[in-house]
Amino acid sequence: MSEVALPLRGSDGSNSRVQGGGRQRTSLRRWIADAPAAYLLLLPVLVLFGFAVVYPLVQTIVLSLWDIKGLGKPRFIGAGNFLALVQDANFRQAATTTLLWTVFTTAISVGAGWGIALLCAIAPKQTLIPRVIIFAAFGVSEAVIGYVWLQVYRGDTAGLLNAILAGIGLGNLAHAWLGDAKTAIWCLIIAYSWAQTGLPLLVIFAATQQISRNVLEAAYVDGATPMGIMRHIIAPLSMPGVRVALFINLLGSLRAFDTIYVLTGGGPVRSTETIGYFMFRESFTQFKLGYGAAATLILLAAVLLVSIPAIVQRTKSTT
Amino acid sequence: MTGLGDGAMRRRTIIAAFAATLLLSAAPTYAQDVSGELVLLDWASGSEQEMIKALEDGFVKANPNVHFKEINLTVQGDARGAIRAALQSGEKADLFINTWPAFRKELVDAGLLRDLGPLWDSAKIGDNLSDSWKALGSTDGKVYGITYTYGDRSGMFYKTETMKKAGIDAQPKTWDEFVANFKKLNDAGITPVAIGAKYWSHTEWFETMYEHLNGVDKAADLAAHKIPWTDASVTNTLKKFAEMLKAGCCGKAEGMLANDWDTASDMVFVQGTAGYQIIGMWNNDRARNVNKLTEGVDYSLQQFPAMGVGYDDVSSVDSKEFSAFTDSANPAAADAFLAWVTTADAANIIASHGLASPSNKVDSSLYGPVMKIAADAVSASKVQFVLGDLLPGDLVDEYRVQLQKFLQDPSDATIGAVTQAIEAKAKTFD
Repeated sequence: MSEVALPLRGSDGSNSRVQGGGRQRTSLRRWIADAPAAYLLLLPVLVLFGFAVVYPLVQTIVLSLWDIKGLGKPRFIGAGNFLALVQDANFRQAATTTLLWTVFTTAISVGAGWGIALLCAIAPKQTLIPRVIIFAAFGVSEAVIGYVWLQVYRGDTAGLLNAILAGIGLGNLAHAWLGDAKTAIWCLIIAYSWAQTGLPLLVIFAATQQISRNVLEAAYVDGATPMGIMRHIIAPLSMPGVRVALFINLLGSLRAFDTIYVLTGGGPVRSTETIGYFMFRESFTQFKLGYGAAATLILLAAVLLVSIPAIVQRTKSTT
Repeated sequence: MTGLGDGAMRRRTIIAAFAATLLLSAAPTYAQDVSGELVLLDWASGSEQEMIKALEDGFVKANPNVHFKEINLTVQGDARGAIRAALQSGEKADLFINTWPAFRKELVDAGLLRDLGPLWDSAKIGDNLSDSWKALGSTDGKVYGITYTYGDRSGMFYKTETMKKAGIDAQPKTWDEFVANFKKLNDAGITPVAIGAKYWSHTEWFETMYEHLNGVDKAADLAAHKIPWTDASVTNTLKKFAEMLKAGCCGKAEGMLANDWDTASDMVFVQGTAGYQIIGMWNNDRARNVNKLTEGVDYSLQQFPAMGVGYDDVSSVDSKEFSAFTDSANPAAADAFLAWVTTADAANIIASHGLASPSNKVDSSLYGPVMKIAADAVSASKVQFVLGDLLPGDLVDEYRVQLQKFLQDPSDATIGAVTQAIEAKAKTFD
């Protein structure tokens, strides 16, 4: 396809249009000949995409235009749900919480993953077991992770965090961490970031392993210190991995739900309610399906806002 | 409201129901040949689920050609969302368990529940359950629920050992005595009252307090939004609640907000770090069967203390019922079960699990000491159904969240803001 679109130039320049026209015709014929087979091969994916993505999306859009309360009869209200959302103080608070949550969970999980990956890059063989252990947390269900951290943050002396504080003589700092609006969100951010560090570690470590040994050896020969190599070679060349990890973790954070559900249920007083949790509460607890669908579409818009530029940039860098 | 009639009528009917429950009378049991699969949408958990399982086994023993299939919903907090999701996603069941009159109304309006009036007559359910229970299970004048258990929601559970440790020999009869005991409990390192405010159970204290300060008629009016949430009755109750909080009843707000009712129950029954808890009678079942405590010996129940303003003959109550879906695949077996659940066999299974049965066929000697206290207290009281279960749609959510805000800061300013917020939401349902 790109051959058809791009102006072609012959070696002497004089007959470029004739040669270009010939190539265009050849490419077009080839495209016409290949297209049916290509679309046939794509068909299963397109069908799956239609069922799994397009159909639910269309249904969600349709649902967002209706006022549905409980099991009652739906009423068409057009953009009414979106207008109500904008005026809903709980939704605005959820949007603010989502911003805080997304920025910090992404920064912490990718930052920690990056730091550990750089350390592991120095001695890949010796750090195999720690890498596997950290990555294993990523493979555990978010709900299970929630229950693990529930025991850490328990408000009584049986809570691990409170027990540690008591053990080091800071028992006066013991706290019902998840019941305090000031601490609950940070507790959630730490728990979620802990679980999400594994993927950035894996991706960024893989990026560091792509760095040519020749480059590193040349740096050593030129007298670079280990810190200098880390700072000027390994860290900059790991950036493609960092970008991928940022993208994946950012999207994951925007959609996070399980950890919040298990640890705080969006509380106390909705202080840990992200848009994802708001959507769940409105849709499945209150059963205001239209309202929840409208919140879903706003969340989808946020996801697209983040992902489209990243995908475009990624596509450009690979072509 | 929910077809239960006005507050006074509901009160009369429930009192009559409790009185009738204590009477044993002979009546024919309903029986017919039934077979096939009976599907139950079940959201009960723990020991309560074991009781439901025992009921199923009892019914199958009497009707060997029937077998049960359960659609179990694992829920956290209010179960209505999970039930709605199950129904909307196409789950088909013959029967389901309900405890919310407002939810029954929603299901009836959606055409999902079957009128059980014909069954009530043909199976002579009235021989086992009084008309008061019929009224309690009715919406818009038709029967949609067969009540199988009820509970006292104004009783305070406590562990005897904990009280002994705090030097409390006699349980407080008056509000002043109750508040005075906070110091004894706190001095012994015990939080006087365990409130699990993570989701909903903190509202129990407000509701019982409201009824004791304003009476059940006013409570019924508030549930029906005949009086606004900004009414002086609400603000005065919250101010009284604030006095209790400031007197050191319940520890720090974050402690309450971090716990659900089951954690609060463990504080009272397992760890002994808290004195009292107000919660439904399923806690009795839990204490006996999960915590392995001896009813009346290791723990007991004290009715809410008298507040001395003329409304101390009140109790907050709840009930649970079985309802049948209109699209039931096996209505004959469903009807047979609904009739059977009111018989002596079923009532005794319920009683032996530490729960109260509304059937007048129940062998009341099966009730343990705590259940007897609860049944006697309720039968001697003017009663009001749990307020939260009467509120429609997401008003109940707003009510619970606003009361959480109150727990965080029980100041007059917060009371004003909280009542206004609930009132604003309540107005959207008028």
